[in-house]
Amino acid sequence: MIFKLAWRNIWRNKRRTLIVVVSIVVSVSVLLLIDTLSMGMMKQMLDNQINLHIAHIQIHKRGFNDDKTLKNYIPDSEKIEEVLRQIDEIKFYSRRVISYGLINSAFNSSGVIIVGVEPEREKNITIISRSIVEGKYIGEDRGIILGKKLAQKLNVEIGDKVVLMVSDLNGNVSSDVFRVIGLYESPSSEFDKVYVYIPIESAQQLLGLGDKVIEFALILKDQNFINSVKDKIARAIGNSYEVLSYDDISPLIRIGIEMYKELIWIYYLIFGIAVGFGVVNIMLMSVFERVREFGVLKAIGMKNKKIFALILLESFMIGVVGTIIGLVIGLVLYLPLSKTGVDLGIFAESLAWFGSGRIIYPVLTEFTLSLLIFTMPFISLIGAIYPAIKSIKFEPVEALKHI
Amino acid sequence: MTLIKTENLTKIYSDGKVQVEALKSVNLEIEAGEFVVVAGPSGSGKTTLLNLIGGLDKPTDGKVYLEGVDISLLKRDEMADFRLRKIGFIFQAYNLIPVLTAFENVELPLILLGISESERRKRVMEVLNLLEIGELADKKPNEMSGGQQQRVAVARAIVTNPSIVLADEPTAHLDSKTGAMLIDLMQEMNRKRGITFVICSHDPQVIQKAGRLIKLRDGTIEDDKKFW
Repeated sequence: MIFKLAWRNIWRNKRRTLIVVVSIVVSVSVLLLIDTLSMGMMKQMLDNQINLHIAHIQIHKRGFNDDKTLKNYIPDSEKIEEVLRQIDEIKFYSRRVISYGLINSAFNSSGVIIVGVEPEREKNITIISRSIVEGKYIGEDRGIILGKKLAQKLNVEIGDKVVLMVSDLNGNVSSDVFRVIGLYESPSSEFDKVYVYIPIESAQQLLGLGDKVIEFALILKDQNFINSVKDKIARAIGNSYEVLSYDDISPLIRIGIEMYKELIWIYYLIFGIAVGFGVVNIMLMSVFERVREFGVLKAIGMKNKKIFALILLESFMIGVVGTIIGLVIGLVLYLPLSKTGVDLGIFAESLAWFGSGRIIYPVLTEFTLSLLIFTMPFISLIGAIYPAIKSIKFEPVEALKHI
Repeated sequence: MTLIKTENLTKIYSDGKVQVEALKSVNLEIEAGEFVVVAGPSGSGKTTLLNLIGGLDKPTDGKVYLEGVDISLLKRDEMADFRLRKIGFIFQAYNLIPVLTAFENVELPLILLGISESERRKRVMEVLNLLEIGELADKKPNEMSGGQQQRVAVARAIVTNPSIVLADEPTAHLDSKTGAMLIDLMQEMNRKRGITFVICSHDPQVIQKAGRLIKLRDGTIEDDKKFW
């Protein structure tokens, strides 16, 4: 009966209730979109960082992460490969040679990071092979691929020659000519200006590394295995190497995600305060309109705690109704957008700078869904406490005289 | 058996500057099964007396005993529970809950008592039929006439089989014919079910039906006559 009474009470003044319900509906659906879009953007930034270069785990000689010079090469890559082959959770791995250098064209030059890769294996590690917009991906020949932005700066096209200049293992200046065979365009414009790719053999030759490599990049079957696999590898290969997760290599991404998680509470707080004041307002009006009725309920023997619960229940129901409708509307908007993505073309340049694509795919997590389900009913409950206290303060005899 | 006993019952209303003595040391005993009408002009203290007997208000001085229990000592929730089990109220303005049907209004006290749904249905329909308003069970207060609403209020007051029903000017908003019918009905409940009624009224047709007539004036009992 208390449910029936509460439900009918909230529809006594339909317009008033609808105003608050609509405010909750708008809040829930907007929060759903903001939260899922931001989460999608964060996830994309993280995925892009992982898929563009970092991978899930990297292995280097100890000290490389602090001093990225050639002297920190991996002396016995076969031993590491042996270990990696025995770990089931590893889906793909690839060897790399990495060095800083200078790229020169006939028109311009630029500082670059030269990445020597095993072309076929690297296809499974990063998205570079799938990001070729002109020409082709590197193969066995002495070709080089550049970011399109870098090519524009150097004023080179497919087929043009460029010279890579580096300091080799012995500290001597070494250079070689490469033909541009492909241009790529990744989601990060800053990345595209810096990273160039050549076959690993060419890099080893240019740098005087022989058959040595600088790093291993690993992709796991499941991202959740990262810490356990990292420990497993570290135990197996010993202290001479550093085994780093993407989180260790690029802590800024984690900090960004943590910051975002803090920031989203502010959105919830702002919408929550707005809805909370609306709830307090209508529940107070509703209580003051029914003073006499509370007197009757008290006279027939209803205890204060039941009247208190009745007011909270009415407000909670408003919160639940608004949340359900808001979630339905939010999900109706979210579901297609999660497949097609949201084209934020007007922000494309800044998004590219942040390493996120212009098409953002919203991501709804269980945490966001729970937050959306519980926030507004909870705020409605909180907002009804003061009106509920008011409702039980009336003495029955005074309440019955109320007009 | 003495159902209600008041000892030096006094109520003083004060707004900080002016004090009004609404009841002055009223001593009264009401036996179970009586049909009492408390009459008197406006401001004589009728409603104040009823509110104090019903535990809706606290006396400034004196005591009220209901079935031997000093109700002025009861805490808020104990008093609510006591009212639920022992007292039925009928108000001048019917005071039905507007969003509930006649059936639900009558059912409400039984729900508060924790009675099972099947038992509630049986008791509510029995009382509604007894008051000849069974066909109004699904109607809401705004779909009923004043007389019908007051019958529902009577049904709500007696459905818990209370020791006493307190009615404050129950015919004031009814035409004389409906008022007469209602008072006959209350008398019938008194005779058939043995429910004690204490009715405040200055309606002559209520007064003439009194089994006992207590006249109040300026907060004191002016006259107390028993007819049957």
